[in-house]
Amino acid sequence: MGRTIIKTIVSGLALALYSGAVSAEWEVNLTPGVTDISSSVFDLHMTIFWICVAIALVVFGVMFWSIFHHRKSRGAQAHHFHENTLVEVIWTVIPILILVAMAVPATATLVEMYDTDEAELDVQITGYQWKWRYDYLDQDLNFFSNLSTPREQISNEADKQEHYLLEVDRHLVLPVDTKIRFLLTSNDVIHSWWVPALAVKKDAIPGFINEAWAVINEPGIYRGQCAELCGKDHGFMPVVVEAVSKDEFQQWLAQAQAEKQAEAAAAERTWTLDELMQQGEQVYVRACAACHLPNGEGVPGAFPALKGSPIAMGDVAAHIDIVLNGKSGTAMQAFRDQLSATELAAVITYERNAWGNSLGEAVSPAQIARLLEPSTGEAEQ
Amino acid sequence: MSDKPTFWQTLMSVLASFLGVQSERNRQRDFRTGRPLHYILTGLLMAALFVIVVILLVRWALSLAGA
Repeated sequence: MGRTIIKTIVSGLALALYSGAVSAEWEVNLTPGVTDISSSVFDLHMTIFWICVAIALVVFGVMFWSIFHHRKSRGAQAHHFHENTLVEVIWTVIPILILVAMAVPATATLVEMYDTDEAELDVQITGYQWKWRYDYLDQDLNFFSNLSTPREQISNEADKQEHYLLEVDRHLVLPVDTKIRFLLTSNDVIHSWWVPALAVKKDAIPGFINEAWAVINEPGIYRGQCAELCGKDHGFMPVVVEAVSKDEFQQWLAQAQAEKQAEAAAAERTWTLDELMQQGEQVYVRACAACHLPNGEGVPGAFPALKGSPIAMGDVAAHIDIVLNGKSGTAMQAFRDQLSATELAAVITYERNAWGNSLGEAVSPAQIARLLEPSTGEAEQ
Repeated sequence: MSDKPTFWQTLMSVLASFLGVQSERNRQRDFRTGRPLHYILTGLLMAALFVIVVILLVRWALSLAGA
């Protein structure tokens, strides 16, 4: 029995060491990160860690020495006494002094962390169940960032890739050497936007706007996750920050804005049923399948089935309405701001023609685009 | 009458309670001859003073940071 336990522990340790050697990214310690703040957070962490080590050495050293030196076999006799005020004062005052000494550098870092003044770029970050929306406030650009790990990897039908559950369809692209202010809020429940390399972990709370900031020193890809339990797919809404040079950022910005306009133009042309079905399936997998499932059967009692549903099989206006505006009191979100007119038309068409829902009719992107217009005007006023 | 705790002794007992450590001798003295009201009033006063000191400390730290 004892031998089995030792064997298990030894093989477990060997495995831990081995996997550490295999994966270069496997780290036990906090990351020093890529901002000045993250490196001062790292330094604080190491300072406090070594203080803890010193305390442990002293306390356990004295304890072990006392136990060993006063062991029974050497005839040690317990000394009976009730209290010693001097010793008690010493062991109360020393921790107070240590805590105050740690609070001084920690306060300096915290004050710096909260100083969002003079930011050169404002990015609003909105948490949704279960994705992030990024608004470049002065650049007239916004988009959603969805998990891009294929469903097959999640359900163990395919091998998991390197960035399993830490990859998204659209990165949050940011320039280096620029003070970027993040304004965090949420559309539904409390989320938390966390990127360890930037030392930013801030709650996104509906109805509140929290602030954080970063000046990224090195270009690169920095991954993070939602750090506040927010429901079923809490572990499936990663953050991917891509830091690029200032020039590259301007190029990216121009391209992203051009793409947005091209997409609006594409909605005006005529789409065939096949084209819509094809794109609809992609949109469905990305935006709908988390709840309604890839096979359209939903989760009984929680998320209704679309296969054979009265809405997907019934009046098209009612179907468009629920997809665009959601259904209050349920998990069904309003997708009018999340998807483009083409994507909305495609996914509605897909839902009406997939899994045996064979209505054979297409919803045109132009039709959806007209429905989106008046309300976007209102929303901006 | 003569072994009643002085104001200084009352104050030291209250501060000892803030720290959480008191000698048995002082405790016996306080409970034998002290009046509860004296300790309560001194305690409230010291608590208010503590809060004021914390507020001033925070203000001072923020002013150092230029906030």
